[in-house]
Amino acid sequence: MLINRFSQFVLASLVFVVAVAKVYAEPVVNQPAPLFSAATADGTTLNLADLRGKTVILEWTNHECPFVKKHYESGNIQSLQKQAAEQGIVWLQVISSAPGKQGHVDAETAKKLNAERGATPANTVFDPEGSIGKLYAATNTPQLFIINPEGILLYKGGIDSIPSADKADIAKAENYISVALKELAAGKSITKASTKPYGCTVKYAG
Amino acid sequence: MCAARIFSIAMIPLLLSCVDARASSFEAATEQVKAQLIASVDAVHPGAEILLGVQQRIIPHWHTYWKNPGDSGLGTRIAYDLPAGATAGEIQWPTPERITTGPVTNYGYSNQVTLLSKLKVPDGVAIGSVFSVKAKVNWLVCKEECIPQEVDLALDLPVVLPGADSGRGSPLIEAARAGLPVASPWRISRTQSDNGLTLRIQGLGQQSGFIGNVWFYPDEWGWVAHSADQPRHISGDTIELQLKPGDAPLSPEAHLTGILAVTEETGGGSVTRGYSVDVAGSDKAPAKTTASEPVPASALLLALIGGVVLNLMPCVFPVLSIKALALIKHARQDARQTRLHGAVYTLGILLSFLVLGVILIALKTGGAEIGWGFQFQSPLFVLAVAYLMFAVGLSLSGVFTMGGSIAGVGSALAERPGYAGSFFTGVLATVVATPCTAPFMGAALGFALSQPPPVLLSVFLSLGLGLALPYLLLSNWPSLQRRLPKPGIWMDRLKQAMAFPMYAAAVWLVWVLAQQSGINAIVVALGGMVAIAFAAWLYEITKYSGKTTQRTGLGFSALSLIAALFGGYFGVETSASAVAEPTPEIADRHWEAYSSARLKQLRAEGKPVFVNFTAAWCISCLVNEKVALSQEAVIDAFKQGGITYLKGDWTNRDPEITRILAEFGRSGVPLYLYYPPGVSTRPVILPQILTPEIVTQAVAASLGPA
Repeated sequence: MLINRFSQFVLASLVFVVAVAKVYAEPVVNQPAPLFSAATADGTTLNLADLRGKTVILEWTNHECPFVKKHYESGNIQSLQKQAAEQGIVWLQVISSAPGKQGHVDAETAKKLNAERGATPANTVFDPEGSIGKLYAATNTPQLFIINPEGILLYKGGIDSIPSADKADIAKAENYISVALKELAAGKSITKASTKPYGCTVKYAG
Repeated sequence: MCAARIFSIAMIPLLLSCVDARASSFEAATEQVKAQLIASVDAVHPGAEILLGVQQRIIPHWHTYWKNPGDSGLGTRIAYDLPAGATAGEIQWPTPERITTGPVTNYGYSNQVTLLSKLKVPDGVAIGSVFSVKAKVNWLVCKEECIPQEVDLALDLPVVLPGADSGRGSPLIEAARAGLPVASPWRISRTQSDNGLTLRIQGLGQQSGFIGNVWFYPDEWGWVAHSADQPRHISGDTIELQLKPGDAPLSPEAHLTGILAVTEETGGGSVTRGYSVDVAGSDKAPAKTTASEPVPASALLLALIGGVVLNLMPCVFPVLSIKALALIKHARQDARQTRLHGAVYTLGILLSFLVLGVILIALKTGGAEIGWGFQFQSPLFVLAVAYLMFAVGLSLSGVFTMGGSIAGVGSALAERPGYAGSFFTGVLATVVATPCTAPFMGAALGFALSQPPPVLLSVFLSLGLGLALPYLLLSNWPSLQRRLPKPGIWMDRLKQAMAFPMYAAAVWLVWVLAQQSGINAIVVALGGMVAIAFAAWLYEITKYSGKTTQRTGLGFSALSLIAALFGGYFGVETSASAVAEPTPEIADRHWEAYSSARLKQLRAEGKPVFVNFTAAWCISCLVNEKVALSQEAVIDAFKQGGITYLKGDWTNRDPEITRILAEFGRSGVPLYLYYPPGVSTRPVILPQILTPEIVTQAVAASLGPA
């Protein structure tokens, strides 16, 4: 019957509209984190999906950025990396600086820099095309994301609460990552799950 | 000689005495930024309120940041170190600009920026002492890479007796004030749903069409996704900005604050002005609806009931009663065929409503602000429907009949053999139903329009189903049909009586039209109706004559109809522009209308003249008049200086004004000219963004202290 076909058509168009409205561009806390695979400093290809079962921290970085320097020269990030490792969390540095731009390094340099700084991330992920950065809508260095063992995004945002390049502010600031790590260790959910990142713009190509 | 602590550039002989070698200068520079501490005065009085400023001159391609730096970066910070008892206010931030690097958007300043703060000098400062201001200024300057920098600046201001000349201070202060956002002259509101945030700017008058760019800069990070487009929809005197929520969306109760930057193309280039925005939140939580949630059943039920009620509306009832009469006539028809007619009629209505819904969605996403009856914002549509109502009324009155049938237009459609007739009756019912829904169904449809497309469509379809329901039931229920009265002469009487609601609807529409397009539109509309009536009458009387007469009659009625339509089209268009003429403000005016003769005369007398070339559609013009030219200080200055204020209105592109604009190398307004006293003085051209001080200083400079 004509009416039946008509209602089918209406239903089909409704379903289509709803489906389109469901697609999100950016990662959303409590939603699955975008998956990627990329080259790393130890020469392997890392696939995020393979890290299911472990909590993962992604740290966008650029060793020449004054805000990154603030947190490495003060030893702040190094101690967070240690704390994370003790809790069995996989800490990944992500470098989205395009070739020729500030912070772009090869694997050897990345390893050397970490050795010099006493930094101990589980690995460093290279993203010279910026595709992972855009997948996570990363805008700053430093900027951090925490993903739970089920692949759900638990945290996105900055490292602490005082946006400045001054090391003296670190002690005064609320360290979001350190608090999140403690909450995770206590089996609690992260209270401040989305915070304002601050720092240098990620040096994407173009 | 004093040296700035960082990269001293200033080998300028300082007015200020150097106390010790480590003292900072009023200037300091880094490789990228030259900063200086300035004040609105050269000396202070005890208890004075002055303005302090830090100016940054930034080398090309680099920028510093606004208080909300956007996706990354850091706003400039100033820590004032002042003598005891003195306090400095918050930084008054000028309107920032957008700096986009790939997917990252920042808000900041390039080339130069001056950050002003108010300063209250304590009452107790000693006359003859030095009031010294120190500022530690901290900024992040970025191009590709970012460099945090800090300078120390100092400025010593002598304390002088109250009443003594405190000097003009730095001219940069006044320039900076022109860049500050001003209070918005419009009504700004917001609507917030899970799908986003809409900022609605109402009351732009005719100006909305001349806006080049609009951008909302939120005061806080995360309220709005900084790099997302802010699509704007302009309709009438309203602009809607669609804002995508950021990572820390605003709660519905909180105030939304920020700067709305509006760029307008003027004859002298584009002018950007910031308007401060503070929109209170709603007290109640917003209706929670997302695309994934089921459509509220109550909304659907209401729409269904509304649709049934529509059958009783004066516009719809006649059409439907004709349909019902046809049903009575064919009561002995095959029951299956009757049912099918009912179904096809329903289909006609539903499809029409679906089309309406899709058009609404398209318009909503495409731009215009719309409500139910959105079509009625177009005077032409209103006129067309008024004509249609009138024509249907004539047909019901029996002035003319379509084809060989004795019934009217609706009846002709209804009685058309086959299902096409039923289908088009449904379409006709929807078309005539729309004008009636506006007053009755406004609220329910207002809800639907604020919803995502699936909800909107379902509400519309429910409404359509409601409209179709009575006839659908009738056609499917033979027992109901049997209860209908027997056919007879009453049917014809009823049909004729039904003409009157149609005429009444036409009258209402003409009234709507008059409001839209002015009094002249009434003449156009009523004249058109006379032509239509004539066409109908001619058509009817010649219909049964011989071939030639019939053709001639048909030709003349067509001609008459065309005259009505074209006359209506052009008539309404011109009267619409006539009503758009601005009404002059007579009350309390301190200006005279501009004419070149008047200007010449005043100049010949050597009198000072201030000329303002403006237009009703020019935002900067009107804002300048509001924030500067109609301020007491300016009016007083004009009075004291014996200055005649001439206002030239270029709304309708007056050629005399066009010529004088061209003389000053402008192709449009605003243009502000000040002719100092004297027969042969050169006029001063004022900037396109005025503050009261810019005007009074321009005037004072020429009048001089004499």
